[in-house]
Amino acid sequence: MTTHTDETHTDDRTPTDRTGTDRASTGRTDRTDRPGHATAGYAPEHTPRLAWAEQAPEVFKAMIRLDAAARKGLDPKLLELVKVRASQINRCALCVDMHSKDALAAGESVERIVQLSAWEESEHFYTERELAALALTEAVTVLTDGFVPDAVYERAAAHFEDAELAQLIAAITVINAWNRFGVTCRLVPGHYQPGHK
Amino acid sequence: MTARTRLLDASVAQAMSALSAAAKRGLGDPALAELVVIRASQLNHCAFCLDMHLRIAREHGVPERQLDLLAAWEEAEGVFDERERAALALTEAVTVLTEGFVPDSVYETAAKHFDDAQLAHLIGLVVAINNWNRVMVSRRIPPGGHTA
Repeated sequence: MTTHTDETHTDDRTPTDRTGTDRASTGRTDRTDRPGHATAGYAPEHTPRLAWAEQAPEVFKAMIRLDAAARKGLDPKLLELVKVRASQINRCALCVDMHSKDALAAGESVERIVQLSAWEESEHFYTERELAALALTEAVTVLTDGFVPDAVYERAAAHFEDAELAQLIAAITVINAWNRFGVTCRLVPGHYQPGHK
Repeated sequence: MTARTRLLDASVAQAMSALSAAAKRGLGDPALAELVVIRASQLNHCAFCLDMHLRIAREHGVPERQLDLLAAWEEAEGVFDERERAALALTEAVTVLTEGFVPDSVYETAAKHFDDAQLAHLIGLVVAINNWNRVMVSRRIPPGGHTA
């Protein structure tokens, strides 16, 4: 699109272009701080395909019940790590937005959230228990590649007692469910604020 | 083959059942619902779910020929109508999310055959069977033993 040589400098950005410069100087992103306000130079926000919760209110109610049932007994920080990772694998933009923010609100560090997409190469950021949960999350999420390997299951079973493991499997299942609604209905990320569900 | 564990919290199971029932009711087409549920279970390799839903499909009178050719529905000309094909394409896209979103063409074709409420319930049904597939495969629940 542009030729990056000093002589021909055809890049159409100018020093007055607000993109990047304001955000760099203030250290914030407008999209996060002022939800609903577009940032100059960014692509326009898309519209959702379908308001599924309004169209299928009983289905939505069951999802809310399922979510509440599946989180019982699980450590909230671990739960958010699992939810962020599954949402990354399934590429659910809304869910990544929501659960990264929820993780931060639950006291998670930015560093551990950033490293999550490469957790197998950044094991020293996580406990053995968290790593076992993340491996299980991947296997249960990418089911079409072939079952849940014994090694992955057994690693999780070594760190979680039976009832807790059942809840972990349920929680991974539920975030996969939200991911499917989010992606299919193309729900819009960027507006979520923790504590305002 | 023995199950790894049979534990599943009762309130989790109840909510999953409620989700499946609400989605199926809203779609209002029991035979199509079984085609959708069986195809997702094929993709997710859930033996328990296949066993259970093939039995239910037969009870609902889904033709054997459709069940035989469901795994190759795209190539099975004349076996599935346009509405069924639209639902199956959506089922595959929503199930195999990791290979890249739900394409516009797939979504739009489904939207031509289903109104918004039906479409929301169809998506709900695909999500619901994906839930069952995950909890059954993860715990390695062997086929059989269900009450269909």
